[in-house]
Amino acid sequence: MTKARKNARQLIGTGMHRVDAAGKVSGETRYLNDMPLKGILHGVVVRSPVPRGILKAVEPDPAYNWTGITVATAKDIPGENVVHMHDRTMPLLAEVGAEVRYRGEPVAVVAAKTLAQASAAAAHIRVEVDPLPPLLTLAEAVAVFKSTPDKFDSMKSQDIVKGDIAKGFAEADDILEGEYEAGHQEQLYLENQGVVVYPQKDGSIFADGSLQCPYFPVHELNDPLQLPPEKIRVRQTPIGGAFGGKEEYPTMLIGYAALPALKSGKPVKITYERNEDILFTPKRHPVWVRYKTGFKKDGTLTAIECDYILDGGAYLTISDVVMFRGILHCALAYRCDNVVIRGKVARTHSMPCGAFRGFGAPQAIWGIESHIDAVAAHLGRAPHEYRQQIHIRPGDSTPTGQILSAENGSTTCLKQALQRADFARKWRQSSQGKLRKGQQKLYGVGLAFLGHGSAFTGDGEAKFKAKGRVELATLANGKPGVNIRVSSTEMGQGVHTIFTQIAADALSLAPEHIRFPLADTAFVPNSGPTVASRTTMVVGNVVYRAAQDLKQQIEAFAAQHFFRGAAATLKDSQLVAKGARPVPFAKVAQAMLKEIGGASGSFQFNLPDSIRWDQTTFKGDSYPGYSWMANIAEVEIDPLTYELAVTRVTAVIDIGRVINPVTAGGQVEGGLTQALGYAVMEKMGTGKNGLYDAARLQTYIIPTALDTPEFDIHFVEYPYTFAPPGAKGVGELPMDGLAPAIANAVAAATGRRLRQIPITPEAIYEAVHGGREGTP
Amino acid sequence: MKNIEKIAFQFPTTLAAALRLQANEKTRGKLLAGGTDLMVQWASGVPTPERVTSLWNLPEISAIRVLADHVEIGAGVTHAFLVDCQPLRTHVPALVAAAGTVGAKQIQARGTLGGNVANASPAGDTAPALLVTDGTVVLASQAGEREVSLSQFWTGYRQIAARPDEIIVAFRLPKRGKARERFRKIGTRRAQAISKVMAASRIRVEKGVIVSAAIALGSVAPTPVRLTQVEQFLAGKKLTPALIAEAEKLAQTTVQPIADIRSTAEYRRWASGRLVRDALEHL
Repeated sequence: MTKARKNARQLIGTGMHRVDAAGKVSGETRYLNDMPLKGILHGVVVRSPVPRGILKAVEPDPAYNWTGITVATAKDIPGENVVHMHDRTMPLLAEVGAEVRYRGEPVAVVAAKTLAQASAAAAHIRVEVDPLPPLLTLAEAVAVFKSTPDKFDSMKSQDIVKGDIAKGFAEADDILEGEYEAGHQEQLYLENQGVVVYPQKDGSIFADGSLQCPYFPVHELNDPLQLPPEKIRVRQTPIGGAFGGKEEYPTMLIGYAALPALKSGKPVKITYERNEDILFTPKRHPVWVRYKTGFKKDGTLTAIECDYILDGGAYLTISDVVMFRGILHCALAYRCDNVVIRGKVARTHSMPCGAFRGFGAPQAIWGIESHIDAVAAHLGRAPHEYRQQIHIRPGDSTPTGQILSAENGSTTCLKQALQRADFARKWRQSSQGKLRKGQQKLYGVGLAFLGHGSAFTGDGEAKFKAKGRVELATLANGKPGVNIRVSSTEMGQGVHTIFTQIAADALSLAPEHIRFPLADTAFVPNSGPTVASRTTMVVGNVVYRAAQDLKQQIEAFAAQHFFRGAAATLKDSQLVAKGARPVPFAKVAQAMLKEIGGASGSFQFNLPDSIRWDQTTFKGDSYPGYSWMANIAEVEIDPLTYELAVTRVTAVIDIGRVINPVTAGGQVEGGLTQALGYAVMEKMGTGKNGLYDAARLQTYIIPTALDTPEFDIHFVEYPYTFAPPGAKGVGELPMDGLAPAIANAVAAATGRRLRQIPITPEAIYEAVHGGREGTP
Repeated sequence: MKNIEKIAFQFPTTLAAALRLQANEKTRGKLLAGGTDLMVQWASGVPTPERVTSLWNLPEISAIRVLADHVEIGAGVTHAFLVDCQPLRTHVPALVAAAGTVGAKQIQARGTLGGNVANASPAGDTAPALLVTDGTVVLASQAGEREVSLSQFWTGYRQIAARPDEIIVAFRLPKRGKARERFRKIGTRRAQAISKVMAASRIRVEKGVIVSAAIALGSVAPTPVRLTQVEQFLAGKKLTPALIAEAEKLAQTTVQPIADIRSTAEYRRWASGRLVRDALEHL
């Protein structure tokens, strides 16, 4: 205890080592594919061979030997054939007689003792489809939108309206329009998707999976499996990366595995190889966004009109909410009284797009941050100086009419980033298409400025009421301690560490007394999915309050049992009372476990009563809190080949209270690197056959360490005081701004604005020589 | 991957034993050196062969010899070994530079020069640098050895001028002497990249005049190619900015690249000329 006492100090704000590091570094951590599983079957998904058509037959070849092989088709679905996400349109497996809507849509699941047997058998399922003409890409959908808007198929539409847009354009001295596009992006987590479904004797199922949101399958598979939530138990296995890719998709995968599991009575495991994982799991939504902005001679924005269209793929799944987050970020960061934003989710015959770090915001910010630079250039203003004039700050109103509180460090981020990067001086050195004296490469510096809404949109958190517990328990090492029980999942972002820090400080306990077991819906209350940059802010607050609750219980017990009723305080891992010798926490905890069987602190999150949100009109407080970032990129372009190097990236960020500067810094560097790939190399087209053309690591190019720039990352703290310890979200924001910052830097280097990402040497060549995208 | 288990592997430990296996159709196997190309192909669904003959354990093809006017590099020499060989940096620097851009360090430690050549990918990193040396490939069989000029060795897309009973044993590469070499690869990223376009050159200039020029490109045609028209145009001419501009244009009109997942035809055509310029600007 002496050591513990010495170590017990304020942990929040320190770079405490990750609690999961030793296991992951030593290889002791067992991922799904490392777990020895006996008596299980391996499942293989049989898919539609065409992107669109009427499914005529799904038939096992009668000549094949099917002994020991389980085949599940739509006919084996116990209940209604639907995966209940945000609508009820997507079947679990396509049904004969119905339409298949994307290449690779599951039509059957085959399970056998070995993967080889299952794969071989799957090849003997005859899948017959009468093909129909598909609409494969967003470009085709946008062409329809432009030519015949009434024929455009939108799965969900939503507008944001502020002020009077006509009046805004009438007041404008000038108007500028621009269109911006981005394609698919693959999450490329290290560990591929995988689940195991164990059918139980009572007819329920128990699933292990590499997944971010253990409660999603519990609530989304009730109809097809005819199982109430309490009969679907989901346990998170250690996750080798997710980035949103394991948000909604594992529900589908558990559904696929459950069918042969329920049919055969044996556990079924499905894991994807990389190629299958890239081809048939959700990507970031491609976007087409069009801005029309009106402004005064002095630069004041009088009108922002925006169309924001995402490629949803074949089914809605969760794309409505991605579009919502997108439109809420389309014009968030700038002062303007007249705004119209129209969001749509295009239906295409492709794999449904889904969650990916940023969730619609990077697509929106790619558009607005490119466009604001174009407006600045049009006005003959420097981009930094123009943004300092028009950016939103406390007291201003957002497009939904939310008044920003003083807890928003927008101005500080912008100011400090410009200073740290010496932007004004470097901006003057930008090549603007011609090498300056002493320059070997075309040099450019670019800026992006943005806010990112933390937690669920609007009053989502108030409705959801995240729950969590902090429990006194006998730990795995046999010693008494504390377990954190929330459904937040560790996927590399560091939540196990920072929640340990939060609980430790709230309890005044050394971290060695605290454990955060992997989420299992049998043991953890529903604190919500690990998404939306909500975990540290919302669930962190739940853990903090629950730990405080438990602390009071421990102190009350200690007062009664150790200090004859004198008030006791848990401090630095021991119970202290006036005039008495301190008692170590472990001793009190042991007594509590023995006498009263333990104790549990709990808390349920709510939002301040002042939060107002109208989900129909999209008016009100669109997020409970905002993180902010000013992001600067410096690029060098080789005039010989147009090869582009991003040499330095500056990010000044307000994420409220920083719980662990090391993990937060890691989040930011990782997110910026993912954004770098999005900006300059990650490219994925769709072939006529409906398959992505870059479906392997050989063809889907992501940055290596050599491609990463020098990072200057700096946090400024404007805590979210309503929810101690006061964090805002950091997970997604690093993904938001680097693509437009790089595009703006490329414009400064070449004198050409590129309106599509990724910005490859080929794209720069075309912009400079082809003149196709030649507007400066 | 599963079918790899079904392959019959044979591991000869002498060249004579390997040649014996390859001489007979019944024992002949698909030749495998480092396996860095074949293993990937098999894993991604390319049909696996019945039999494989490993060349990994053959000391006779694993040496580098520096001779009076040429170097002889064993086909089994790995890229990593090649990169570390000091004399090669002097005599065939473009090849050393090219080998240093192959895959990742792990691939360089396992992949061999012979394997890179036999795989015959138009994007094979070492091919242009080999081509500009005017060297030869040494092929062995039970019937004996023969030499084939590198410029005639790649006969078509992924095709080579070796008989089924032959094994590539070495490369005989004339030293650069007073000529200058340059290698430049435009890849999909800064490391672990397959080339979009690459160029190697060996050019000798005396008193401002180009005495001889050898320039080769990769990833712009079904095989690695020498730019013979450009070379002939340059020979005997005075090296001037105007000449460089003309050579750049000529290169752009001679190549017929295609578009694929890595790049566009237009960019490849343009970049081909740019890399010729790059070679001429660094003499």
